[in-house]
Amino acid sequence: MTNSKKVNKKDVGKLLSQWSQEFAIFVPSIGSGVATMARWEGKDTSFLDWYRNTVIPPKANFLPPMEEMFSFRKDREGYNIELPPNGGKQLIFGIRPCDARALTTIDANFKDLYQDPYYLPKRSRAVLVGVGCTNPYDSCFCTSLGISPADSNDVDLMLTDIGDEFLVEEVTDKGKKLTAKTSGLKEATKDDETRAKEIKEISYNKVTRKINAEGIVDKLLAGFDDQDYWEKVAAKCISCGICTLLCPTCYCFDINDELVRQQGTRFRSLDSCAFPVYTKMPMENPRASKWKRVRQKVCHKFGFFPMNFNVIACTGCGRCIRLCPVNWDITQILNSLPVRV
Amino acid sequence: MEQKLRSEVKALLEQGKVDWIIGFEPGSLKFTTTPLITKDKNDAERLVINPFIVNNLANFLTEIMGRVGIVAKGCDSRSIVSLIQDNKVAREDVVILGVPCTGVIDLSKVEKLVGKDRDELNDIAREGDKVTIKVEGKKKGFPSTQVLFNHCLACELPTPKEYDILLGEPSPPIANLAAQERIEKLRQVAPGQRWAFWEKELSRCIRCYACRNVCPACFCQRCFVEETEPQWVLPAPRWQDNLIFQIVRNIHVAGRCTDCGECERACPVNIPLRSLTREMYDIVGELFQFKAGMDKDALPLMTHYEEKEAEDFFR
Amino acid sequence: MKPRIEWEPKLVGFLCKWCSYAGADLAGTSRKKYPANIRIIKVPCSGRVDPLFILKALRLGFDGVVVSGCHPGDCHYQTGNYRARRRVAITKRFLEYLGVEPQRIQASWVSASEAGKFAEVVTEVTTGLKEVGPNQLFSEGRQEDGTKTTERS
Repeated sequence: MTNSKKVNKKDVGKLLSQWSQEFAIFVPSIGSGVATMARWEGKDTSFLDWYRNTVIPPKANFLPPMEEMFSFRKDREGYNIELPPNGGKQLIFGIRPCDARALTTIDANFKDLYQDPYYLPKRSRAVLVGVGCTNPYDSCFCTSLGISPADSNDVDLMLTDIGDEFLVEEVTDKGKKLTAKTSGLKEATKDDETRAKEIKEISYNKVTRKINAEGIVDKLLAGFDDQDYWEKVAAKCISCGICTLLCPTCYCFDINDELVRQQGTRFRSLDSCAFPVYTKMPMENPRASKWKRVRQKVCHKFGFFPMNFNVIACTGCGRCIRLCPVNWDITQILNSLPVRV
Repeated sequence: MEQKLRSEVKALLEQGKVDWIIGFEPGSLKFTTTPLITKDKNDAERLVINPFIVNNLANFLTEIMGRVGIVAKGCDSRSIVSLIQDNKVAREDVVILGVPCTGVIDLSKVEKLVGKDRDELNDIAREGDKVTIKVEGKKKGFPSTQVLFNHCLACELPTPKEYDILLGEPSPPIANLAAQERIEKLRQVAPGQRWAFWEKELSRCIRCYACRNVCPACFCQRCFVEETEPQWVLPAPRWQDNLIFQIVRNIHVAGRCTDCGECERACPVNIPLRSLTREMYDIVGELFQFKAGMDKDALPLMTHYEEKEAEDFFR
Repeated sequence: MKPRIEWEPKLVGFLCKWCSYAGADLAGTSRKKYPANIRIIKVPCSGRVDPLFILKALRLGFDGVVVSGCHPGDCHYQTGNYRARRRVAITKRFLEYLGVEPQRIQASWVSASEAGKFAEVVTEVTTGLKEVGPNQLFSEGRQEDGTKTTERS
């Protein structure tokens, strides 16, 4: 007898159907033209065959690219303000350990001095069903940041591919509550658990890209003022927003109002520190130079954020490396910091 | 070609003929290259020329101060000429190291052909009009036209016309009809449905502006999307504003876009941007018999005019 | 019961100050009849019209855009209208490729004395737009019946 359950890969669709009674189910999908988490349309589970990781990270389910904060209308008495309706409950199926850890990481930002009323309710209402990686990309480097392709710390249920079946581990109480009312799950045997352990070990070793995160904060900030170094590092960057907008641990957003005569909406949308106008203010733009912006991005993720929240704002998902138009590679930067300490 | 490139670059830097060199070096991922921008003559050994030199390096000319030695394929050289026409770069300030290009391999096409991702392939080797891909220990051969970028198949100038040093023998255009297939298909679609097609495609745009930032023709200090007084487009990725951004961007670069295809390649969400840029390229060619970057002494398209020209749509 | 308001196309016209705007003004003082559907924006020269204005007008919900300037050779600033000619040409062709109805963007050469021509242009464009229907290009969930103009979404 073990504490784990298991489910046949062929029966995953049945699980999702049951869960869809209570949750809006999101699964990996390429129907829109790019790999992203999309609403499950009810039948197809072929994503189990091709899915390595999405291009758009699951953070989009909690911090959408564009989100209404409230709408307002001016009438004779004053302003009429309306909040958007409460969203439903989401179940994200297939979230990878790097993306799940990323959500936990940016939670710290949204809980810090102010409880974000849009992000946090979504997070607490959601269920994350993680599926471990068996085929990491060559751009992945999660193992250098204390995570593994099979890490289960940040999800409610963790699935590990053991052949024709998934081992199902109940990680949180939320996960246990869910499996308690789900039919179709079988008890896992000791052999299943051993097999899962082997698979996790193999996946761990498949991650070939590595950085040395030991003491990275001090190493990095020691070279903060080295303009020559940072200019070299930043030379080929083109200041687009791909690395930041698709990074699961980037959370910067911009707030704008849209007005039509006497009514409008206030909304927030993802912003990027790579854009030249990101720090533009009426008086000046402290990061008008590209090398300053590139320096800021690296130092925020591996310096300032860990200083404030004790965790590096990177989970090694590798999207920035995979998708950068000029193949700017943060692991190359981190592995070649000028030794100064 | 690589040897010649490295020795030329070394000489240029040693003799102080250029301040900077822009070229390609091996990327950090299999079958990729990355731009190398350097002042150091010892970096010459890092330069490469291979079927994966995909970037349009002319993009960096508008931000680098000083004299630059730049590696340029045919399309890149046209972008350089276009910048010279626009007075953004002086001809004396660039040393064009021309690469006679036989086409760049599109890794997404390779991935579709063999059903495996780039990092799962063992080797990709090109020999003339054949490409051999080694995957899971087995070799598979394909005609090159099946793996080259569409813009390479439609290329009108593979070997730079304007150069200082040509690094090899000139190569002929590939001129493959498959390149225009997608645009031709779109032109057959009924007008009402065309707009719906673009609505769907632009719905997944995340407004990263990679398309704009890889483009050598986009060099405005302040792009219209960043303007707030007045605000032309919403700073958020709503499809209507995404589409307006693309339409206006294409109109703004008309006559300076050389159809290098970088915008489409850079797009992380696979929007078929070349179906827009190539159409504008063809419109400009048809209405004004103008092709960007072909003649360094030609006047820029949108600042020039003829007394008598197309105006049948003017009442 | 309130009478149902029939849809009327909303046009915006970018008229150059020296020729077309004066022509429109003359149409007014001469009491020439033309549809009141057009809202006029005076620009110093037709060459001031950035294709961005045309797109923004469509985005805001205008059903049609008219750009009008001096006849070629008569531009107050010598060459402005030649630039407008090229810009409108590529904008119109490009938008037609994308599926925008060609009647939505119109251009004309109207001189300061051509009051009648201005009235004709506005009448023709308005009639053409009535056939094409309201601008639903940027609306969410486009309507099929077209009984009201598009609200800015």
